Amino acid sequence: MIELQAAVSGALNGSLYALMALGLSLAWGFLKVINLAHFAMILLAGYLTFELATSTGLSPIATIVVTAPLMFLVGALIQLGYERFDVSELNSLLISYGLLIITVQVVTNIWTADFQRLPSEINPFSAESLAVGSLRFPMPTLLAAGFAVVLVVAAALVLGRTYAGRALQAFGQDREIASAFGIDHRLLGVLLAGAAGASAAVAGMLFPIGGTLTPDLPFEWIGLVFAIVILGGIGNVTGTLYAGLLVGATSGLVAVIWTPSTSPFVVFSLVVLALVFRPKGLFPQKGG
Amino acid sequence: MRHKGWLALVGIAVAVVALPAIRHSTDFPMFYLIFLSGILFWTAQSTSWNILSGYSGYFSFGQGAFFGVGVYTMAVLFGRQGINWWVAALAAGLAAMLLGLAIGTIAFRLRSLRGEIFALLTLAIPFILASLARLSKAIDGGQGIVIPVPEAPSFLSQFQEFVFVVSGVVALFALTVAYVMQHTRYGWALFAIRDDEDVAEGLGVPTFFHKMIAIGVTGLIAGISGAVAALQLGFVSVEGTFNLDVPLFVIVMSVLGGRGHWAGPMVGAVYVYTLQNRLASGGFEGWSLIVLGALLVLVMLLAPEGLMAGFRRRPWLSAGIFIVIFLGLWLLGITSDPVTALALALGVTAVIAFIPGGGDRSTSSLVDSGEPQEHHAPVGDEPTDERAEVGRPLLVAENVVMTFGGVRALRGVSMRIHEGELVGLVGPNGSGKTTLVNLISGAFPPTSGSISLDGTGIVGARPHRVAHLGIARTYQIPRPFTSLTVRDNVAMAIMFGREPLGLDASRRAASEYLDLVGMGGRADAFPGEINLHQRQLLEMARAIATRPSLLLLDEALAGLNPVEIDNAVDVVRRIRASGVSIVLVEHLLRVVNQLATRIVVLDQGLELAEGEPAVVMRDPAVVKAYLGRQADAAGD
Amino acid sequence: MSRRASILALVTAIALTIAACGGDTGTTTTAGDEGTTTAAPGTTASPDTTAAPSTTAEGSGDPIVVGGTLSLTGAFAATGAIHKVAGEMFIERLNAAGGLLGREVQWNLLDDESDTANIAPLYEQLISQDQVDLIMGPYATPNILAAMPVAERYGYTLPQHTAVLAPLMTYACQFPGWSIGPEPNSFIPNQIADALDSLDGAVSTVALLTNESGSTAFISYGVADDPDDPSTLNILPERGYEIVADIPYPPGYEDWGSTAAQVRDANADLVLVNGLGVEANSLIDAMQQLDYTPPMMFALFPAPGPLLGLGDAAQGTLSVSIFEPNEPILEQMDPEVREIVDEFAERAAAEEIPYTVFETQAAASWNAWEILAQGVEGAGSTDGQGICDSLHSTGAELTFSGAVTFDPAVNNFWDTTEGLKQIQGSEWVMVWPEDIAAGALAGPTG
Repeated sequence: MIELQAAVSGALNGSLYALMALGLSLAWGFLKVINLAHFAMILLAGYLTFELATSTGLSPIATIVVTAPLMFLVGALIQLGYERFDVSELNSLLISYGLLIITVQVVTNIWTADFQRLPSEINPFSAESLAVGSLRFPMPTLLAAGFAVVLVVAAALVLGRTYAGRALQAFGQDREIASAFGIDHRLLGVLLAGAAGASAAVAGMLFPIGGTLTPDLPFEWIGLVFAIVILGGIGNVTGTLYAGLLVGATSGLVAVIWTPSTSPFVVFSLVVLALVFRPKGLFPQKGG
Repeated sequence: MRHKGWLALVGIAVAVVALPAIRHSTDFPMFYLIFLSGILFWTAQSTSWNILSGYSGYFSFGQGAFFGVGVYTMAVLFGRQGINWWVAALAAGLAAMLLGLAIGTIAFRLRSLRGEIFALLTLAIPFILASLARLSKAIDGGQGIVIPVPEAPSFLSQFQEFVFVVSGVVALFALTVAYVMQHTRYGWALFAIRDDEDVAEGLGVPTFFHKMIAIGVTGLIAGISGAVAALQLGFVSVEGTFNLDVPLFVIVMSVLGGRGHWAGPMVGAVYVYTLQNRLASGGFEGWSLIVLGALLVLVMLLAPEGLMAGFRRRPWLSAGIFIVIFLGLWLLGITSDPVTALALALGVTAVIAFIPGGGDRSTSSLVDSGEPQEHHAPVGDEPTDERAEVGRPLLVAENVVMTFGGVRALRGVSMRIHEGELVGLVGPNGSGKTTLVNLISGAFPPTSGSISLDGTGIVGARPHRVAHLGIARTYQIPRPFTSLTVRDNVAMAIMFGREPLGLDASRRAASEYLDLVGMGGRADAFPGEINLHQRQLLEMARAIATRPSLLLLDEALAGLNPVEIDNAVDVVRRIRASGVSIVLVEHLLRVVNQLATRIVVLDQGLELAEGEPAVVMRDPAVVKAYLGRQADAAGD
Repeated sequence: MSRRASILALVTAIALTIAACGGDTGTTTTAGDEGTTTAAPGTTASPDTTAAPSTTAEGSGDPIVVGGTLSLTGAFAATGAIHKVAGEMFIERLNAAGGLLGREVQWNLLDDESDTANIAPLYEQLISQDQVDLIMGPYATPNILAAMPVAERYGYTLPQHTAVLAPLMTYACQFPGWSIGPEPNSFIPNQIADALDSLDGAVSTVALLTNESGSTAFISYGVADDPDDPSTLNILPERGYEIVADIPYPPGYEDWGSTAAQVRDANADLVLVNGLGVEANSLIDAMQQLDYTPPMMFALFPAPGPLLGLGDAAQGTLSVSIFEPNEPILEQMDPEVREIVDEFAERAAAEEIPYTVFETQAAASWNAWEILAQGVEGAGSTDGQGICDSLHSTGAELTFSGAVTFDPAVNNFWDTTEGLKQIQGSEWVMVWPEDIAAGALAGPTG
């Protein structure tokens, strides 16, 4: 019983990380950009959510009206920069790392390094849960799971069913051929990067609902989020969600069966095994 | 350059020995010694990272793992068990080296674990090690370990001097290894791997072996350096050791300084460490990450090859400006503090690296980029009788089958190539020609069937073994090592050939092969500066430099104009005349008819016809299968 | 070409900015009355400092410079800010009362960026380059451990605020401002057991959660390689309290949902969290999501503000403290204490520190500064050994912890005045031991 509850809690928690991983995986798979600035956008969106909610008294969920367009813009602008300078995959990693540490420092200078939590008056979710029998689905991570499912389904539909989506897939597989067929990869790339930025805003909105903000959070996220990107398969949106749920459930189970300290050992060993035996991810796509 | 390199190393060695010795008589403040120790530590760590990730291009986030193993080996052996500190330091180096070899054994065998995937694999390792250290009460158990002050040799009166000297020795070791590697085959193998691993392997470079050396050396240096850091820190904890600080700093330092040169990481370490120090002590602590991040972004966008490359373009100007500003500021008393003067001088000198051009490398591209030279080699000028002198069987392929996933690229092909033959391998697109070339050169083993050269089976042998047995190949789209000159591209093949030569001898020998293909005039150009035809000639020169008995030319004439084709045909004749058997994969039937002693036609993974060109080309089945579809492909 | 030129101009500007930043070596030095920023000794010295020994005269007009680092940025910055305000306040008051030995006191404070690796080089810099007269320890146990060998090598006396791991603090001239006695791993579980005993059997089972890092793991498990060392895990069962769950978790742990489920199923009377920061908050949130409220909670070293922010959910939560400014306590103490507490609240608010109550951290800071000041006055000089000897022979009279003595045999860890505090209403109230309590210990709920 406790194992079931732990697996459920863990899986829901993992869906939040899947949401963080989604934009990263998309940009990597389709734009060939490893954008560590994605973490910067999540962090910034988290603090903006905190600031807007506490100063206006709005529900933190409502702040997404502001943060999502803003992060769309930021993501798109960064992508324009990558295009402008024709940045390679590896160089994008280094440049975006530069952007990430700049953001961390700026956030520290504005909001201090102290813990920031949404007060319970405007964040009623932190202590709530949905009861099904004796199982409890904690509200903050349940919200995250809901958003993750919606975004993943939307992304999968857009990629699979629309012209733009197929063009992006073609572009992800072979840039030159795609360009030869007249695909305006620059516009598509900027739109995709913007969408990834908006997904960062959603993740950033959800994090302070369930947790405590500190400026160095990105460095704690990087390991787990990349683990999910790899396990899910780079550019595989549904795989990312499955991987998030799997990693979350695994760490939850390991935490109650052994100890929480064992979880990172199990999860990252799983990553190494996956990289060695299933380098395209645990959930291969049709035709991929 | 070599003299300058050794001089720099000797200079550092003298400073490491002399500074503590003269410190008392000159009142050299202790703080500067500690400051320098910090630079030496980061020099060792970033140089260590650069050997694996800069030289061979295997980008690693796992520096923290090697460093951490070093730290904890010292903490447990010396801190807890009381084993002699320098024994513990050596053990730390060995332990980290073993970790590196273990990672390499798994990762370097798999083609899928290259590039970013390798980087991510190494990202996972520190998390696993941190978890282990925390779980094991014998290692840490979560509370951290106090490391006592070691007993320093008597001639070093203070602990800081001891740390300085030991850090200096480790940094010197790292720099010397990096320097020697850069100037020997060990470094060159890594450069070739970085530029194009498959090509390197195909030219005879045992890539697995050299990658293992690289990761082993990286681990060894990082481990010893980590052990010394543990001594200096006096207290180590899991979260303080296996965090992202070390991996990220070594990356920033190496990228900033330049990954291609042995001294690049050191330059980066000096810059970043000095900058950090001044920002922190200047009350700008809230700015240090912002400045560092901005610097990283700017360097990546404007001077991705790093500061060192810029300085090497204008060595005297760089050194002059640096020395004048540093000494000027300090001696004239404009700033009281030499570290501040150092920071200012470094800052101004850095601008030089951002000024583009200035070297001979970029100007040379403007010269002589037109048509290839008319070159009349001493041999093979007159076409030999191409139908004659066929010897014993050289290559024997029996019933070769290759399937990719569900697709059967080859469905049972048998063929023989005899000594002295020039076999044209033709067939429509997708008929399996390139797959067959890949199998013969050992790029991957066939699903079933056997291939042997001179009676030696080559199925399952790594490509570099196949190369050493005497098979060389070229690629349809030329794949030169872009960071090496034309001459050095060829020299690489000689250095790692069956009878390997040293660097200088290889360079001399390379000229002969370049002359043979008519590229002698472009020996000092970089591949980016020559045209497609010249790159294809370079492919051939590099291939014959391995001294093969069988040369596989994969569409070596694709995309050339008629004049260039005639020139290339001459070159192929000369190569054959020098005693090399050739398999020519080609679309252009005119060329095949002109050159080949025999033709093999593949269609849909099977041999359709085989025989003399004139006979085969009249075969109705061939005409139907080949020419029928050829019409579609004529466009490309 | 114009793009090239503009980029070049940008780079030049940045390089010059960087250089300019480095050029200004003025450090935040809190001096005298106004808290003005003055230049560090390094900048005022002659150009050839490198070759010349210190020229700091012992003349009565020269200020006494105290060097030290705090985590002004990075992970420990939240608490570092409390120690900064407390230190600045102390120095102002000291200077207003005539300084030390008739000389003004200045604080040369550097930022260690919460990075232990920075500590030793910065203290080396303070002592050997800036040639400060005295030093004050950094914040956080690993940082203090890193500073200790430097102080020892130069023979400086090292007062420090918060390192309570007595067995590790081996330098004879290291003086703690916060003491849980020589054996905190025995003292804390015994004090908890004493308090629980007073509840007449209302508590009999305990779920133990431990952050697997430094001090918290030490309190839970004793020293790592000795299972028989006194520890929460050993002592509570000896005292008749059954440990029904023992859950160690790594620093930075996030997945509290599954752990909360485990704690709920253990159904203990007391959930004892030997953790840091907001870990207890996260656990309480996660338990609430499971509709579970444990009868009683204990958090070892929590961030004090956020737990109060939880409202009802955290009512009755226990923690450790050396000082809480509860009204009954203030009434018993010197009126100066109330002044300090009030002024601190004002200044902390001005510095935008979220939790402005002068409690354990600030009191420990104050203690450390008092130890340093009294050592100097006792020795009559700024000589490190002199201060150390004076403190060993006469001890110190601390505003917040009373008269203390220092015995090098127990690493100078004085008889502790530490007690237990409990969230009652909207504040932390000292509840144990009874002789210093400002309120009664509330037992388990439900």
